[in-house]
Amino acid sequence: MGKRWMQPFMGLVLSSVLLAGGALGQQRSPGAEAPVTGDWLISHMLSDPEQLNPLTSNDAGSRAVLGNIFESLLQRDPRTLELKPLLALARPEISEDKLTYTFKIRQDAHFQDGRPVTGEDVIFSMKALKCPLVNAPFARVYFESIIDAKLLDPWTIRFTAREPYFLNENVLGGIDALPRHYYDPEGLLQNVTVAELAGDYTKHEEQVRKFAQHFNQSYSRNPMGSGPYKFKSWSTGQEVLLERDPRYWGIGKEGIDQVYTNVRKARIINNTDAALVSLKAGDLDMLSLQPLQHLRQSSGARFEKDYAKHIYATPSYTYIGWNNDHPIFRDARVRQAMTCFTNRQQMVKTVLFDLGQVVDGPIYRFRPEYDESLFSHPYDPQQALRLLGEAGWKDSDGDGILDKVVDGQKIPFRFEIKFNSGNDIRKSVALALQDELRKHGIDANVRALDWTIYLDDIRNHKFDAMILGWAMSVNEPDAYQVWHSSQAANKGSNMISYKNPRVDTILQEYRRTFDASKRIELYRDFQRILNEEQPYTFLFMQKAVTAVNRRFRGVEVLPTGGLRPLEWWVPKALQKYTSQLTAQ
Amino acid sequence: MLTYLVQRVLLMLPTFLGITLIAFAIIHLAPGDPAELRAGGGLAAGGEGGLSMERRGTVDRALQEWRTQFGLDKPLWMQYLVWLKNLVTLNFGVSFKDNQPVWGKIVERLPATLKLNVLSILLVYVVAIPLGIYSATHQYSLGDQLTTIGAFVLFALPSFWVGTMAIVFFGGGDFFYWFPPGGLYSVDYSSQWPWWQQAADQAWHLLLPVLMLSYGGFAGLSRFMRSSMLENLRQDFVLVARAKGLAERVVIYKHILRNSLIPIVTIMASIIPGLISGSVIIETLFSIPGIGQLSYDAVLARDYPIIMAVFTISSVLTLISILLSDLLLTVVDPRIAFGQRTA
Repeated sequence: MGKRWMQPFMGLVLSSVLLAGGALGQQRSPGAEAPVTGDWLISHMLSDPEQLNPLTSNDAGSRAVLGNIFESLLQRDPRTLELKPLLALARPEISEDKLTYTFKIRQDAHFQDGRPVTGEDVIFSMKALKCPLVNAPFARVYFESIIDAKLLDPWTIRFTAREPYFLNENVLGGIDALPRHYYDPEGLLQNVTVAELAGDYTKHEEQVRKFAQHFNQSYSRNPMGSGPYKFKSWSTGQEVLLERDPRYWGIGKEGIDQVYTNVRKARIINNTDAALVSLKAGDLDMLSLQPLQHLRQSSGARFEKDYAKHIYATPSYTYIGWNNDHPIFRDARVRQAMTCFTNRQQMVKTVLFDLGQVVDGPIYRFRPEYDESLFSHPYDPQQALRLLGEAGWKDSDGDGILDKVVDGQKIPFRFEIKFNSGNDIRKSVALALQDELRKHGIDANVRALDWTIYLDDIRNHKFDAMILGWAMSVNEPDAYQVWHSSQAANKGSNMISYKNPRVDTILQEYRRTFDASKRIELYRDFQRILNEEQPYTFLFMQKAVTAVNRRFRGVEVLPTGGLRPLEWWVPKALQKYTSQLTAQ
Repeated sequence: MLTYLVQRVLLMLPTFLGITLIAFAIIHLAPGDPAELRAGGGLAAGGEGGLSMERRGTVDRALQEWRTQFGLDKPLWMQYLVWLKNLVTLNFGVSFKDNQPVWGKIVERLPATLKLNVLSILLVYVVAIPLGIYSATHQYSLGDQLTTIGAFVLFALPSFWVGTMAIVFFGGGDFFYWFPPGGLYSVDYSSQWPWWQQAADQAWHLLLPVLMLSYGGFAGLSRFMRSSMLENLRQDFVLVARAKGLAERVVIYKHILRNSLIPIVTIMASIIPGLISGSVIIETLFSIPGIGQLSYDAVLARDYPIIMAVFTISSVLTLISILLSDLLLTVVDPRIAFGQRTA
């Protein structure tokens, strides 16, 4: 949901999903020419988007496409990271008890078929989302705390939340406006209220069922919204075509992003080598490069002449999670020792080819909540051995493996590191650590598992140590889901069973605090506790490299960790594709 | 003949049921939950909102909802019966990924896979059979040894590597731009082009993938042809033919070749299922949206309806092709008659 700015959710980082949208800065060339429209931008996708229904799709590829077609009530300014109005006239009025949010929406916005965007459409979008039969259970979870939405007048909507939570505004602002007349032509949801859909809709069962079936099946390849690009075509396995809407309501409007390229084409090339060749042949205008492609295959005068490479840290990190319930790892000293055994700088050099940066905590470094003073545990095996000694680990039987009596039983320091097969970075990390530990009398096994099996194991706490990644929030973070003790049960995201009553208190307090400076203080404490206890060994953020054809202007890396092709343009003299879209 | 056919077809039915039952069981019992996969592992589903205890309950409820929508909450045997029932009407269900009918998704990808496979099989036969004949008639000559070694060297080269090299060197980029690095059509392809331009464009795109798909097959088939020829060369009727004073050309192409083709014909039938089961490696390498890719992605995402559909179609084709090769055998070899064959 809310493609433009909610996409950096705290989700598992699936290998290639990282890029998508968002965009930090090199300087904007001052006094340069004014942007002009025209030309095409041909980008690359590794595989087809799942489907182009904004509610029922759940993958980064679809989000990247749909972000150009749909618009939400609020959006994140990609540079300041502040919320600002898009379809709304202003940020919502929030009631004293922090439970109701009233949005006024603009009266000059219209959908791509010319019909105006009204409060009715926003309410409809909420209904479709809340409808339990619509195949969008995962998007629905975001809006779980929103229990009602009512129209006060055609342009004013009031949402009611179940509990006060500072991120509610963020959530509501992310609602995309879907044209009611297009997605529900028969008006099946007309008489059903949001509250009913969120609760009991049995009175309207028939209609709701009919609507959901139609909505689930008929809109996966024909999106229509109010955004600056219109959907043109999608040939499976080949390309997705978007066309700039010349009648876009936001053209020339203050505070609304202007777009310039006439056509956005995403070519689907399943093979990264072929994609690089296509880029060099001029068939792609931008491409995210693999580390080795960046180092070995994309230099030289010819490449430099046509393409500029942009390097930026992506907001996500990789970590080693220690099962905090494990007899070996429940001792914080042991976990600290493990971090000291981990040569993170070296890993960034050899595993990531220097395209990375060591991290020491879960908060994105451009956020005000980030604590600059965190201690970065250096690679120090001597210190690690001292810590293990303090914790009672020594080789008492001379078999070359450290041991200790835990719960009345002598156990050797032997454990298993799990990761998902096919992820070479995680594999290299595991092997490097295994090598290091072996020198010090610790026997670590390394085991690669198929993604689904791996996921199942870690959610059921069936691991000693595991390697995984999290996306970092570029917006206000909320670490409750990952670090609160309650999330260790029920297959929650606290897979390592981290339990600290002080952290619990901070995380709960934080969610109810509407004062940003207080929240920052709370999270600084939180980061210091994690830093001390080392429940994870935080490893690194990866850097991405994207090559962009030099004819584009306005290309810059944004604090959200990426580029924003939406803003790019090409000077008239350099425009490459002049034709409008031909019927294909 | 008709009784025999009916008998064979009726026998296919239990075989087919057995195949689908086993496949269904294996696919559904394999680890991995499509619902969790769709949710990004359920871990992502909390989003920025963060999950309170009751919200984790919501994710579980969401997963449950999703399973109900696709009938995955029912016991396995019932799911199988539902699947069978739908199969009778040729309804393979809808894909978990986008709610679209599986049949349509397969039909959409069929042309690309068919083009690729028909062309490459054709190429294999056109190259390998003359090669086999040559090797057999020039047994142990330098030419025989060279072609044999050549075919085996090709056989030993993995297509993902050769394919990548071909893309890097001939696909534009830093070297020669002789062939497109992938896809089926040019960037500016248009259905308004004259037919020959469209055909030329497609051929240009298909050439590398077809080559990559075929070169490994030369060795097997040419060796097969060679040994079949050699076997016949030693037969008495060859001696008789030569003794009659027939020209060597006639001996080889009329008498030996015809007899040697019998086993080749039977393998030909077994190719039919291979026609639609695309090649994952080549399709991925050259970004060709074919059946191979579809089924590979489906396996990774545990998209059961698609996996089952592809599997069912190819097993039906396999059964048919077995029958067909038996029938073909009687056509090319009059010594084999239906009556004596009991299934």
